[in-house]
Amino acid sequence: MVQNRIDHKWGMVIDIDRCTGCNACVVACQAENNIPLNTEDRFRQRRAIQWIHIERYWEGEFPDVKARFIPILCQHCENAPCEPVCPVYATYHNNQGLNVQVYNRCVGTRYCANNCPYQVRFFNFWEPVWPESLRNQLNPDVSIRSRGIMEKCSFNVQRLRRAERIVEGQQGGRISDEDLSMGNFLPACVQSCSTSALVFGDFNDPNSKVSRMKEEHLHEGGRGYKLLDFLGTEPNVIYLSKVDPYATDAGDGHA
Amino acid sequence: MGITRRQFLRWTGVSALGAVVFNGCRIPEEELQIESPVNLPEDLVTGIDNWYATSCRQEPGCGVIIRVVEGRAKKVEGNPDFPVNRGKHSARSEAGLQTLYHPDRLQTPMFRADRNDDFLPISWDRAREILNAGMNSLSDRSRFLLVTEPLRGHLALLTSEFVQALGGRHMAFQSLEQINLHRAVKEVFGQDRLPDFDIENANYLFSFGADFLSTWLSPVRYAGGYGEFRQGDRKRGTHYQMDSRFSMTAANADKWVPVKPGGEGVLAMSMAYVIIRDGMGNADAAAALTDGQGPQALNAFAPDSAMVRDATGLDSGKIEDLAHSFADEGHQPSLAIGGGTAGAHRSGLFNLKAIYALNLLVDNIGKKGGVRFNPAPPLPELSREDVASVGMPASYREWQELAGSGSVDVLMVRGANPVYGLPPGADFARVVNEANFVIAFSSFMDETAGMANLVLPEYTYLEEWGDNVPSPGPSYQTLGIQQPVVRPFHEGTSSFGDELLTLGRELDLRLESRLEVTPDATMKDLIKAGVEKLWPENRGSVTAASFEGFWNGVLQRGGWWDTQATGDSGVAEIKPLDTAWDGSGLGDPGSGMFSLVPFLSNSIGDGQLAHLPWLQASPDPITTVVWHTWVEINSKVAEDMGIAEGDILEVSSGAGTLEAPAFPHPGVPPTTVSIPIGQGHTGMGRYAEGIGDYNYNTLSLLESTTDKDTGALAWAATKVRVKKADHGHSIDIPKFAGNQFAEEPHKGTIIKVTGPS
Amino acid sequence: MQERVRLTDAEINRDLLRSTMENPLWYWLLVGALGLIVVVAFGAAGYMFNKGLGVTGLNRPVMWGFFITNFVFWIGISHAGVMLSAILRLAQAEWRRPATRAAEVLTVFSLMTAMLMPLIHAGRPWRVAYWVFPFDWARGVYPNVRSALVWDPAAVFTYLTSSILFVYIALVPDIAVARDRTTGWRHVLYTILALGWRGSVRQWKLQLIAGILLSAIILPIFVSVHSIVSWDFGMAVSVEGWHSTVFAPYFVIGAVHSGVSGVVTVMIVLRYFFQWQDYIRHEHLDALAKLLIVVATAWFFFFLLEFFFGLYSLEAPEIALREMQVFQAPWSIYFVTFLIASYFIPVPLWLFKKVRRSVGWMLFTTILVNVGMWLERFIIIVPGLARKQNFSFTWGGYTPSAVEVIIIGATFALVCMLVLLFAKIFPLIPIGDTKEGVVLEDSIQVGKVKVPAIMRED
Ligand SMILES: Nc1nc2c(c(=O)[nH]1)N[C@H]1C(S)=C(S)[C@@H](COP(=O)(O)OP(=O)(O)OC[C@H]3O[C@@H](n4cnc5c(=O)[nH]c(N)nc54)[C@H](O)[C@@H]3O)O[C@H]1N2
Ligand SMILES: Nc1nc2c(c(=O)[nH]1)N[C@H]1C(S)=C(S)[C@@H](COP(=O)(O)OP(=O)(O)OC[C@H]3O[C@@H](n4cnc5c(=O)[nH]c(N)nc54)[C@H](O)[C@@H]3O)O[C@H]1N2
Ligand code: SF4
Ligand code: SF4
Ligand code: SF4
Ligand code: SF4
Ligand code: SF4
Repeated sequence: MVQNRIDHKWGMVIDIDRCTGCNACVVACQAENNIPLNTEDRFRQRRAIQWIHIERYWEGEFPDVKARFIPILCQHCENAPCEPVCPVYATYHNNQGLNVQVYNRCVGTRYCANNCPYQVRFFNFWEPVWPESLRNQLNPDVSIRSRGIMEKCSFNVQRLRRAERIVEGQQGGRISDEDLSMGNFLPACVQSCSTSALVFGDFNDPNSKVSRMKEEHLHEGGRGYKLLDFLGTEPNVIYLSKVDPYATDAGDGHA
Repeated sequence: MGITRRQFLRWTGVSALGAVVFNGCRIPEEELQIESPVNLPEDLVTGIDNWYATSCRQEPGCGVIIRVVEGRAKKVEGNPDFPVNRGKHSARSEAGLQTLYHPDRLQTPMFRADRNDDFLPISWDRAREILNAGMNSLSDRSRFLLVTEPLRGHLALLTSEFVQALGGRHMAFQSLEQINLHRAVKEVFGQDRLPDFDIENANYLFSFGADFLSTWLSPVRYAGGYGEFRQGDRKRGTHYQMDSRFSMTAANADKWVPVKPGGEGVLAMSMAYVIIRDGMGNADAAAALTDGQGPQALNAFAPDSAMVRDATGLDSGKIEDLAHSFADEGHQPSLAIGGGTAGAHRSGLFNLKAIYALNLLVDNIGKKGGVRFNPAPPLPELSREDVASVGMPASYREWQELAGSGSVDVLMVRGANPVYGLPPGADFARVVNEANFVIAFSSFMDETAGMANLVLPEYTYLEEWGDNVPSPGPSYQTLGIQQPVVRPFHEGTSSFGDELLTLGRELDLRLESRLEVTPDATMKDLIKAGVEKLWPENRGSVTAASFEGFWNGVLQRGGWWDTQATGDSGVAEIKPLDTAWDGSGLGDPGSGMFSLVPFLSNSIGDGQLAHLPWLQASPDPITTVVWHTWVEINSKVAEDMGIAEGDILEVSSGAGTLEAPAFPHPGVPPTTVSIPIGQGHTGMGRYAEGIGDYNYNTLSLLESTTDKDTGALAWAATKVRVKKADHGHSIDIPKFAGNQFAEEPHKGTIIKVTGPS
Repeated sequence: MQERVRLTDAEINRDLLRSTMENPLWYWLLVGALGLIVVVAFGAAGYMFNKGLGVTGLNRPVMWGFFITNFVFWIGISHAGVMLSAILRLAQAEWRRPATRAAEVLTVFSLMTAMLMPLIHAGRPWRVAYWVFPFDWARGVYPNVRSALVWDPAAVFTYLTSSILFVYIALVPDIAVARDRTTGWRHVLYTILALGWRGSVRQWKLQLIAGILLSAIILPIFVSVHSIVSWDFGMAVSVEGWHSTVFAPYFVIGAVHSGVSGVVTVMIVLRYFFQWQDYIRHEHLDALAKLLIVVATAWFFFFLLEFFFGLYSLEAPEIALREMQVFQAPWSIYFVTFLIASYFIPVPLWLFKKVRRSVGWMLFTTILVNVGMWLERFIIIVPGLARKQNFSFTWGGYTPSAVEVIIIGATFALVCMLVLLFAKIFPLIPIGDTKEGVVLEDSIQVGKVKVPAIMRED
């Protein structure tokens, strides 16, 4: 019996002033999560799957041109628009702040993908295939999704579960930031990000780095913001704004 | 980061043990209690995994840890302890697993006596016989040439000894070599090794042509520093990128200064002039750099001179601003780095010397946020001159000379693909064709291996022993260890080092006495012997009472390093600036002509990694193109020329012609076009060979212009004519971005920008 | 109604049962051809189920395309039956008689066809049980009642059930007529289906009351079905162009527009095939065309509301979406075609009596309306997905594949084939109703309603 189940609220803080757009996180996620090989055709058909992807936005004209990068992954919305529309509860919110996806329940309506404002849901239009030898790399902790199934960033729930068993199951204490990084429980994208633009942790833990960063940045005049906040989706991912001493136009958005 | 290896190991150990214990008693009960039917299958997995530390050789430098489950490598991550990359890694190293499990890996030796015949698979015993016979067929052993990638550490030592004992030759191959950089470092700083750049603590960072966040030298290390440079616990650093291309690094800069290709050195000289003229910076250095003459020594580089304007394309005000910003006292420490395209011109060495000399003016050598010199590797034999030269790429001029010399009878190639990677002016295929016997050690049937007599399939770095002396190092002595983390995946593969030792025995080269190891030694023994010499020094990251303890500690941590053993703290003698600028071949490309600025792909590099699907599918940061070559051209220019995205362009230079789809974007300087290097393979397996609709080898466009001093290839100096291909085809370029020009319709909704604070 | 010929009961029986009794070659050739198209489409769907939805043109971000468009279209067509039968029956509109059966049958078959679309769309139809049936399989979860995709099957199933009942109840007296004129297996079939209809006063009374009651019940269902279909889109918080506030009424009225037009098309075609010139007469077309003018104009008003309220918001992505719809090829072509086809050509033409009374013109205009209305759905569904939010980085497009085109084309063949097959078994123009129209003077009072007196077979 588990007496003291510890409630987590996993989340991420993404500093786009650190992100260089290097795509290491994208490949790391592919490796960890058995994402089907994105062939040339899949890109042409616009069906490539990248649970985390880097969007690049242009600003201005030569020579005052800017290209800005932003990593976008499932925002694990507290008030997730993808959830109520799924007719079979294949996507639901768990009590740790995760928006989880149950592959074998999904019937493939793609309604959730329409309703996700961030466009981070990816549909398996084709059966995933790997040459036999490449299958040796597949992560045994993550199921392979067949054709007709929706998938998306899971915050690497397989690692979080492992962390819970090993850290909390054995010691009883709350998983700390240090536990996460020491035990290789951090999401693969976070682990790989060389600029540390991605920070992962537990918003329920006041000592976690993400909590402290939220405290520091998420307020009027701070750099913190939530993507498309005006939709009321309450994301568990907080972005920190790009700093540009030469900004031509700070933007007139309502974010 | 506060990470200690001990804690790290504790968790890996606990995870292995814990899973067993849990499975036996508590966890199933817990699952029954808490696992509701809505939980997903990922909740139910407990596997036993182990993490092993080793070194990344996708392109050497970093230390990695590999997750191994049931004998199969599953995941590569950065080694949190390793000084170079401190827990981080790149897409390239992640894809190492695909090298290991690649479906088109060579699995058995192959041979053909006549290079027009097909290969026949043979056994290793037979392969070794043929190898010996081939080597013994040499009448003159100086007509033996071994071509490898630049090697360091014990493999470099072994290679050097082998070649010397045999009396043959060795050349290291790197397609876009860094010779000019090495030479500039030597001449400006008097250093034999590339220095470390403390980007993390710099305040103003001036990068000239170095795509350091993506492909230049040690991008993972630099990116790690860059994150802190941006948003560490101090004032945000400012980064200027003086670059002829809008690279990923330029896109990250606070200000991108588009400078004319080749004009970077003049810009640096002009900045030096302003700094010295205005009495900024270190006066001693200024005096030494001008040989005591003061600013007038650099008069030719005054920012308002026509020469400077023509060479750089920048007006004087801008150059003055840059100079002041660099040398401003409040902006220290400031740091200048240069490389990539800046060093890839006829005056490449001149450019780099001028750029690095700026560091002397702000006196940042050996200081926080400045240039930090690297010490010699921990073992004296590893820094021997002959060993170091095995790690120094041969210049393009040497390859050109080789191609015409007819001096090679037996050719052995390992870890290098010069048939693909050399521009047409240094026709390596000719060297191969003229040799009597060609041996290729390779994991893949690449272009060079495809022309050989004998192909010997190699282990990947995850299956073999090796070591790793990072270059550039982290400013202190570091020796990474590479250990096999999985059993060889294919029976019929072997280790290059071991085979070289075996061959040495067969040829009676007495390598073991030269290397001071036992006669039957393997690479592992060689490396262990090296580490054994470190143990008595009793310093650095691992110390132990016994050698076995030391060895285990070194393996567990992925290497050994000593943060106290740093390099020189200053420059012994500052030499006067080289003012002999030769602008020939530079300047405006002429109407209808463009300067070609080729670049290394962020994922597949110079094409050595083009066979890995994860990397082929990794979007280019600026264009998001995948699996394809493209031609970057300025949007407005393209519009004037009637060129739309995907239209096939014919790009021709004095060396050749290629066709590739246009990718217009606003970041391309109007007089340049840019094409990534790395595609256009005719070998290397299914993911590289013949992919894409119009994938040519960009190197085939490069003319044989070389640096006048070093003979290095001036790979950014080619001028090309660009027009729409006559057939008028247009393709849908495979890319990740959508089909609209991505500019936020409502600025600041997605990417919020905070202005200057 | 000057050109009306007084027909005898025997003539009526003969003419209206002709379709069921005769076996002309053209009929079987036509059914065979349509059947072939349907079989090919089943093949295409099977191929798609096997390979995955990759064989469609769907992509990220346009995850809904032709199949859903077609779903909405056929649901729309299905609104004809009820509109005509129920409303007109309640209103005792005299001219409805020849139209009602065709309309109701069209309702049933287009609903069935519409229901195939989401199954095909999802790509793995064998999983549909999890989705549709409120049954706790082994998974411990019921369908999610918060999802519009659960409301949808509920509403459509209800509508289908009630429509089938509606058709059946009206059909019972006619089946009895057929029963009395057939032998062999048909006789057996009709005997069972006629439920022992003898045409007694009580039976007529019950049949009539049941018809009226069902008419009244079915009307709210009819409104709810297309409202709910519109909520499939309206529930999406993040797709521009999908959450227009007038969606529900806009969809319902649009459905009536396309549905009534569809009925006119079907009536004209059947009139030609089965030589029903005496039953589907010019005054019927005239009356339907007048109705269509009103419906089309109401629909057009909602269209304007929808479009302009979108613009009033001044949201950048919303404006970008409208820009795409109106100015960017091929969307602009669809947009203009849809407006012209579903409003600007037919409605002015219908103002002319000559057009309203011309079989040829009416066929042309009503087909045009449905071409336009198909495009309308397409224009609503796809551009919104291609222009989601401010993420211009992911904005894309959609080109349907051959598989989708074949399947969509085959749904038209399927509905035609089913109607033809139905005509082989049951009379498509209500015999009883027609006679009732002829012998109107014999009527009795049932409560507040006037009921025609009994009509006996000779
Ligand atoms: N999807 C969806 N549909 C709904 C509802 C819903 O909640 N969601 N609610 C239903 C209900 S209860 C109602 S009352 C209706 C309301 O439906 P609408 O009347 O359409 O109401 P709004 O969308 O609030 O406003 C319409 C447009 O008017 C603009 N506007 C605001 N002020 C002015 C002004 O001063 N002048 C002009 N010209 N334009 C202005 C708004 O920006 C908006 O674009 O919607 C119904 N339909
Ligand atoms: N800023 C802004 N505010 C607005 C408007 C606007 O345009 N802008 N529009 C205004 C207008 S026009 C309107 S109509 C109002 C609407 O405002 P509300 O009437 O608050 O509308 P809903 O959000 O639909 O809330 C209805 C509640 O009833 C619940 N409910 C649903 N079905 C049933 C049921 O069968 N029985 C019961 N008991 N509850 C049920 C729902 O779950 C929901 O909680 O908003 C007004 N407020
Ligand atoms: S980001 Fe999208 S997929 Fe993720 S929880 Fe939010 S709505 Fe759902
Ligand atoms: S695609 Fe799958 S997860 Fe998404 S709404 Fe449909 S059934 Fe649910
Ligand atoms: S958290 Fe895990 S699943 Fe999500 S993007 Fe990162 S690596 Fe992928
Ligand atoms: S790894 Fe980090 S820096 Fe690189 S793209 Fe991802 S978030 Fe950005
Ligand atoms: S930068 Fe090079 S050495 Fe470092 S992790 Fe990437 S591939 Fe390996």
